[in-house]
Amino acid sequence: MGVVLAVVVSVVTLWLGMTGQLVLYIHPRYVVFTMVMAALALLIALAAIATRASHDHDEPPRRRWISTIGLALAGLVAAVLLLVPPATLTSSTAIQRDISNSGVGIGSQTVDAAPSASLHFSVLDWASLLNQTNDPAFYRDRSADVTGFVTAAPDDPDVFYVSRFVITCCAVDAQPVGVPVYSPGWQDSFDPDDWVRVTGDFTSNPSPVSTAPIALTPDAVTAMEEPDDPYLF
Amino acid sequence: MSPKRLVWLVGGVLGILALFALRAATAEADVSLPNQLQDLLTLAISVIVESMPFVILGIVLSIVVQEWVPDSWIMRVLPRNPFLRRAAISFLGVFLPVCECGNVPLARGLIVKGFTVSESMTFLVAAPIINPITIATTHAAFGWDSGILVARVIGGFAIANLIGWLYSRHHDQDSLLTERFAAECRVPQHHEHGGARLQKSLELFVREAGVIMPALFIGSLVAGAIQVLVPRDVLVSLGSNPLWSVLAMIVLAFVISVCSNVDAFFILPFASTFLPGSIVTFLLFGPIIDIKMLALLRTTFTTRVLVQLTLVVGLSSALIGLVVNFVF
Repeated sequence: MGVVLAVVVSVVTLWLGMTGQLVLYIHPRYVVFTMVMAALALLIALAAIATRASHDHDEPPRRRWISTIGLALAGLVAAVLLLVPPATLTSSTAIQRDISNSGVGIGSQTVDAAPSASLHFSVLDWASLLNQTNDPAFYRDRSADVTGFVTAAPDDPDVFYVSRFVITCCAVDAQPVGVPVYSPGWQDSFDPDDWVRVTGDFTSNPSPVSTAPIALTPDAVTAMEEPDDPYLF
Repeated sequence: MSPKRLVWLVGGVLGILALFALRAATAEADVSLPNQLQDLLTLAISVIVESMPFVILGIVLSIVVQEWVPDSWIMRVLPRNPFLRRAAISFLGVFLPVCECGNVPLARGLIVKGFTVSESMTFLVAAPIINPITIATTHAAFGWDSGILVARVIGGFAIANLIGWLYSRHHDQDSLLTERFAAECRVPQHHEHGGARLQKSLELFVREAGVIMPALFIGSLVAGAIQVLVPRDVLVSLGSNPLWSVLAMIVLAFVISVCSNVDAFFILPFASTFLPGSIVTFLLFGPIIDIKMLALLRTTFTTRVLVQLTLVVGLSSALIGLVVNFVF
């Protein structure tokens, strides 16, 4: 059973790596190491199969039902690994991990960033700037062009967050970052988790109830396909 | 190679190719799961994929130690005095840089090799923290100045030797182990040579994978489920209180279940909300105790031992965190 599980996780890891989807689960810096170890595991497992290595010493009986449930659960996870299409985390985790109040990531922009570069800023860059200053004057002449998925703002139906997850090690530590977009009636055009590209300018948030003091007023919100690298690093 | 082996080898290759084909065929399947269930699966798979290389490395190193390193080597270089001996064992991780999930098969191998249970526990607690990869990633995340790295290394050493000393006072070391593993340790070890030794190594791989992989899968599933169910902001809102933030970090470390080699990067975004001592507590408690580790450790130790271990490690890492919070 253990060898089967090792083979399944190695096959899935290698397949994810070859199709470029391993980054849905771990940071790119671990991809090569992970794939090498998966290949090694497959080779050892093959050798064990070819020599029909087994371990049949007399072992004391175990509590049968506990091991049965355990093996069934492990088998279920193996089936999920093999059958369910790979996916990114969804907006429900973004809300659960408190998107409107997330910390500033590493390597993002600071308030003395040049205005001319603002069109290249990512959601993470803007989110960290919004954490640093609420002065509307700072955002004048700094237009935004960002992509991300839609997360409904928990406090105001007229606002959504264009959001990304930031990964430092693996999907487990995914930290949501988002830029509030003031767009009444956005629900008519988009659902949560849809990927969008938003262009526009930042102003004082017109919403009376939202906790975000500054929001993006969109010139255009267009639907797009989920990118190959949905996480930011 | 005998014809029989060739048949099995070809069968194995075909089986693996079939798994690749199955995975590729279902890649585009239209499975729409509810968001929370989907995220639970994504998180569980993430924990498995992240830990898998270290688990494989741990199993391989465990086999090398059991089958390929002469008995006398390790035993000869270690001091006789129990305190010095455990202190030396604390630094074994420098030469065997696996994170905590890889350490479980390795520690099992060391017990089979002749370590006492308390010595193997010292290794289990110290090695994930005092090893070059963990020190490098912790340094990359926090640098020298914050004191977090120093507190982590010294704290890990202190807790590991405390645990080792406590359990060395137990009169019946075998009773700390699960019956199954204790029975495996009683099977006399004899070294094979050449082909037989290779065969024995493969058998050990099958045995260790059989014990460790199901535990890893189940632990990851539970870790994924709890992360989806417990709101993160509950923990973060406790962050600025010197006492509560330490406790919150213990809970967070327990739930998150990431490996010690990478946990410094995980906790870095929280550094602005949490006090430094609380970060130290996370970095001390997490490598030793979390949901995935309890599932893995249960393959080897009794439930009673795991409860004691959790309590002692929890209290000592909280104490060290509080000292850092209040003194510095």
